[in-house]
Order: sequence, then C-alpha cells, then structure tokens
Amino acid sequence: MTQVEQFHYDNKIVKKFAYATMLWGIVGMLVGLIIALQLVFPSLNFDTPFLTFSRLRPLHTNAVIFAFVGNGIFMGVYYSLQRLMKARMFSDLLSNLHFWGWQLIIVSAALTLPFGFTTSGEYAELVWPIDIAITLVWVIFGINMFGTILKRREEHLYVAVWFYIATWITVAVLHIVRNLELPTSGLHSYGIFAGVQEALVQWWYGHNAVAFFLTTPYLGLMYYFMPKAANRPVYSYRLSIVHFWALIFIYIWAGPHHLLYTSLPDWAQSLGMVFSLMLIAPSWGGMINGLLTLRGAWDRVRQDPILKFMVVAVTAYGMSTFEGPMMSIKSFNAVTHYTDWTIAHVHVGALGWNGMLTFGVLYWLIPRIFNTKLHSTNLANVHFWLATLGIIFYAIPLYWGGVTQFLMWRDFTPDGFLVYPNFLETVTQIIPMYALRVLGGTIYLTGVILGVYNLLKTTGSAKCVDNEYAEAPALAQHHVETGVKKHWHSWIERRPMQMLVGSLVLVLIGGMVELFPMWWIDDNVPKIASVKPYTPLELQGRDLYVREGCVGCHSQMIRPFRFETERYGEYSKSGEYVYDRPFLWGSKRTGPDLAREGTGKNKKSDSWHYHHMNDPTSTSPGSIMPAYPWMAEDDLDVSTTAAKISALRKLGTPYDAGYEEIANEDLAKQASAIAKRLKEEGVDQPGVEKKEIVAMIAYLQRLGVDITLEAQAEK
Amino acid sequence: MFKYILQGAGDINWMATTALVLFFFIFVAGSAWVLTRKKDYVDKVSRLPLDDE
Repeated sequence: MTQVEQFHYDNKIVKKFAYATMLWGIVGMLVGLIIALQLVFPSLNFDTPFLTFSRLRPLHTNAVIFAFVGNGIFMGVYYSLQRLMKARMFSDLLSNLHFWGWQLIIVSAALTLPFGFTTSGEYAELVWPIDIAITLVWVIFGINMFGTILKRREEHLYVAVWFYIATWITVAVLHIVRNLELPTSGLHSYGIFAGVQEALVQWWYGHNAVAFFLTTPYLGLMYYFMPKAANRPVYSYRLSIVHFWALIFIYIWAGPHHLLYTSLPDWAQSLGMVFSLMLIAPSWGGMINGLLTLRGAWDRVRQDPILKFMVVAVTAYGMSTFEGPMMSIKSFNAVTHYTDWTIAHVHVGALGWNGMLTFGVLYWLIPRIFNTKLHSTNLANVHFWLATLGIIFYAIPLYWGGVTQFLMWRDFTPDGFLVYPNFLETVTQIIPMYALRVLGGTIYLTGVILGVYNLLKTTGSAKCVDNEYAEAPALAQHHVETGVKKHWHSWIERRPMQMLVGSLVLVLIGGMVELFPMWWIDDNVPKIASVKPYTPLELQGRDLYVREGCVGCHSQMIRPFRFETERYGEYSKSGEYVYDRPFLWGSKRTGPDLAREGTGKNKKSDSWHYHHMNDPTSTSPGSIMPAYPWMAEDDLDVSTTAAKISALRKLGTPYDAGYEEIANEDLAKQASAIAKRLKEEGVDQPGVEKKEIVAMIAYLQRLGVDITLEAQAEK
Repeated sequence: MFKYILQGAGDINWMATTALVLFFFIFVAGSAWVLTRKKDYVDKVSRLPLDDE
C-alpha cells in the first residue's frame, strides 16, 4: 500500500498576493493615467515637485512592473507551485517575510521616486538601500521556492516550475550586475559602469527585466492556469520544453536592440538584432502552444470570461513578440525608437499579456480559494470588453502618433532644410493622439476597477479556505511501490538544482559574451582628448537633471541620420560619455535631444534656460514640459560635493587627489559667473548664485561643448 | 574599426565560438531529449496541472 500523506495548501499567502496585485494594479495604472493627462494638460503638474510628470513616470513603470505584475507572479507561483509539488510552501514564515518585504519595497519606492531619489536607470531607478532590500527579499523567495521543490511529493517537475526556476536565478543575476554601485550618501550612489558600457549593461538588464520578470514567470502561469481553465492538458508538452530552453538562451542576448544607431559598437548592435529576430521562433512556439491548448474547447471561450481573458493575453503576447523582433530591425528601429511607437508596444505587452493574464488567473483562482462562485460573470464579461477596447484605444493612437512624429522629424524641403525645425511643432501635432490615449487608459482602468469590485464582492460573501486539505503519496513510498527508480533520492534532489545551474549557465553565456568585451575594451573606446570630467557645479547640475527625471523625455544621443544631425548637430560618439555616471541617453523623445544643447545653433543664453525652467511656455509657447520653479527657489546642496568627487575618482574619473577639498570653491566661482551673466541678461534675483537653477544651467550649457573644442583644436 | 578594437581586447574569439557551439549543442540535445521521451511520460507530465482536483 502506498502511504498517503495528509497536508494543507497555504491559500492565505495566495490571497494576500492576490489582494496586493489588485491594489497595486489600480495604483500603478492610476499614476499612468495621471501622467498621460499631464501630457495633454501640463497644468496638472501643479508646479509641485512630487507631482511632476518626470518624477511620476518612473513611479508608474515601477508600480506596474514590480508591484502589479510582481505580486501577480507571486500569487500565481505560490498557488501553482504548491499544487505541482503536492506540498505546502516550505516555510510560512518565509512566505510572510516575502510578502511583507515586497510590499515594503513598493512603499519605499513610492516614498523615494516622486521625491527625486533615483538612479535613473530604466526599471532600475531605486536607490541603493532599496536595491539591497530587493536582494534580500529575492533570496527569501528563492529559499522558500527551492525548499518547497525539495520537499515535494511529485517526482516530475512540470514545465511551469522550470520557468519559475529560470526566472528566479536570472532576475538575481540581472539585479546584482545592474546595481553595482558606489554610495556617496544614504540615498545616492554612482554606478560602477559609465557611458557606453553602462548603456549596454542597462539594456542587457532592462530588456531581460521584460524577459524574465514580465515574460518567463507569466509563461509559467500560462502553462499552469490555461490547462486548468480549459480543463485539458497543454497542446504539446514537448513543444513547451523546446520553448523553454530556446527562449531563455536567446532572450538574454537581445538587449542591444534598445541601442540601435547609438554609439554602441556595431558588433553589439548586430548581435542584439540577430538574436531578437531569432526570438520570434520560441515566442511564437509558446503562443501557438497556448492557443492550441484550447483546441476543441473554443465553444467554451464564447461563454467563459476566464478563457476570453487568457486568449487575448496570449494573442497580445504573440503580437508583442512579433512586433519586438520587427522593431529590432535597424531600419525599422530608426522609425520607432524615441517615438510613441515604443510606448504603444510596451502597453500591448503590459495591458494585454500581463494585465489580461493576471485577471484571467484572478477570476479563476479567487472563487477556488474562497470555495464559492464568482460574484458576477456578466460583470467579468464587461471587464473583458472594456480591457480589450481600452488596449485598442490606447495603442492605435500612439502607433499613429509615433509614425507621424517620425515623419515630421525627417521631413526636408526640396532645398534641403528641415520642414519642422522646431521640435515643439512635432509634439503639438500629436497631442490629440495623447488625448485619445487617455481615453484608452481610462477605459482599461474602468475595467480593472469593475474587475476588482467583482472579485471583492466574491471574497466578501465567502471565507477563504486558508488551509486547503490535500493528500498525496509520499515520494519515497511511491517510488518503492512503482519501482521507477531505486536511488531516486539524490537524483530527485539534484534535478531542481540541475535546472537552476543549467538556466544560470545559459543566461551567463549570453550575458558574459556580450558584456565582457565591452568591459575589457574600456581603454579602447575611442577616446576624445577634449572630453574632460564635469566641473563640480556641472556635476551637481547633472545630478539635478537625474533627480528631476529629465531623461524620461530628453535623449542625449544623436543618431547618425541627416535629419538628426541637421536638427541637433554632430552625431554622438562613444568617447563623449566616458565620465557619464549615470549615462543619460534616454529612450523616448517627448522633448528634443539635448546632447548638443550647450553648443552650435542649439545654444541658448543662461537667461533663456532660467526662464524656460521656471515656465517653459514663456520661451516655448505651447510647450507641454512641466515647470520646475523650485529650482530657482531652493538652495543647491553643496555639502555632497566632496563625497561625490571622491566616489567618482575611485570609479576612475581623473579628478586630482585632494580636489574634493577645494571643489566647492570652484563651484562657487562658476556659479557667480553664471549669476553675473544672468544679471546682465536681465534676471535680477538676489542670491541666485546659491540656487539649484545655476547648477542646472551650468550642466545644460556644458552639453556637447567638449567635442566642439576638439574640432576647433583641429582647425 | 571595431574589428581592431576587439583584436586589441585580447583573444576573445573563443567566447563567440564557445557560445555558438554550446547553443547548437543545447538545442540539439534538448530536441533529442524531448523527442526521445516516451508518450506515456509526456502524457503523464502534461497532465500534472490537472491532477490535483
């Protein structure tokens, strides 16, 4: 007789993560809606630092990715892992530490990003103490997950578990490498990589945050919950295995497609493009596998909102993973990069794939752990249609706007002049599209609110089965009885570890082959003799630029196209960025590129910048840029100068030894000179030399200057 | 130009070769592993999510 063991699944932790994903979903999307409105009605920035678009945008992306989707991942993993392993989670304490630790991280993100504490790396904006907290919580999650796998009662590891294991190890590697940094204070640090090298590390990280946070764990959920909802096994288990290995190996290489036509070396760009194209194969293998799981059950899709959500989710996955490789083709990337096309693309993924799958799983899971029926199937159907319409109304206007703006950027008169030399014209042209996007977002969020209402009504009328009774044969007895393997023990315990090591090796190969040459050729990035470190005032100004999140709308990377060099000046070279910590190339232009802002025909007077920062419409009527009036009111904090100079010297910036002692003297001199010029130009603000605005002006006036000095020297 | 930069970085061609060989090996080995699984094994594992009800 097989000895059957009795145990209980922990549904309480699943419930907690489910509530958290609902809560943060609404919060994250609400912030998204607010910043979308700010682009149409700039007055909604309220001239208030923590409500300003550029500070809220990273809050929106972090909330959606790490709070909404993050809690969605944990909800699905904690539910499915227990059942696939036929075991309760390894430790209730670790489960709860994981839950509360993650919520604490989210709250600390919400308390730092709007207040300007940011490192500015996309999706890696959080400051170093939070980075450490993330590492700790991630380790807790890992111990809890592997502990559960090791004490399992089911011999085989279903493919969903493979995806969870690969997710865990890869996110750990990505997070650590991206956030290698040297603190200068309790909430500020400089990354160890600079310029083009940091750019490559950033997009190796950023792209794989999409791959291993938004995709692989959700594929695991798809492979578990779609068969559940359809009540039939996955179409092809064999295909799912090939899907897994091919996907994790290829994904890790694709990061450089975020840097096409930049000053990243060509070989790395080509590598990223080729692997991105190859990604279609495993991605579509997964999509087809998901959709074909419904073969013979399509009649049920008509009636079951859960299956509807899942079908649209998997279809959106297929669309984004077709679109992504297309956008990685250099000639097409020239169109989409820096425009709203990219924003549309990521929202098809986030709203379609992640959002629809999350709610499909929620509608399936909540009634089960509460042992009741969904409050209203009709309401879920209404949610489904609102979500689908919302995505359409969100994405199409932005595709339209993106292409329109690109065409305007590159439009030349027959005489060879730019038709729209003023960047602002290309922005005001597409504001109606921004307004339509607000409509799409509103429709989607309305659906989410209805969905959460429906789910809360469901939970309100029932009690959660916190500990769900289950029974399964113990693994040892099971094996002796069936005689599958005598020495199963060591082999079984090794397998998840083998999976872990196998995934790690695969992602390390891709990561290291791409990153190592870039690190090793440090001294070989074509140096430009005239490029010098920033002065202390410019450095402080640069950190203000980081604090305010200017990089969210302004790139500093001119691509080698005539329509770009004509508008901005000489295209950007990798040697210009060797002292840039963090690099500020940006990935979206809602405003013009600023790489040559301090030189050539783009140069403006100090007073122009002063007035522009105070009220952008005073110098650029119709501008949708937020105002930053506090920069003229707040004193520049110069107490940080010495620590910053020391840290940068440790990282390789050639400041003279002991310069930190006298750096503030140089800072004051430069500030006085700018204050004097401001006065000459009619800005009569007493004590302006002590204000933040002066540092900002110093930095903006430095941009692009060094490379022109070289050109002059050559003459 | 980047050819020379890469040459200057030392002999790193082995990295590219190793990556290609490994990728090829893993893909072939993975496919072989998948194709040689017996049908009853595949059926059993693919039904795991449905087992717990």
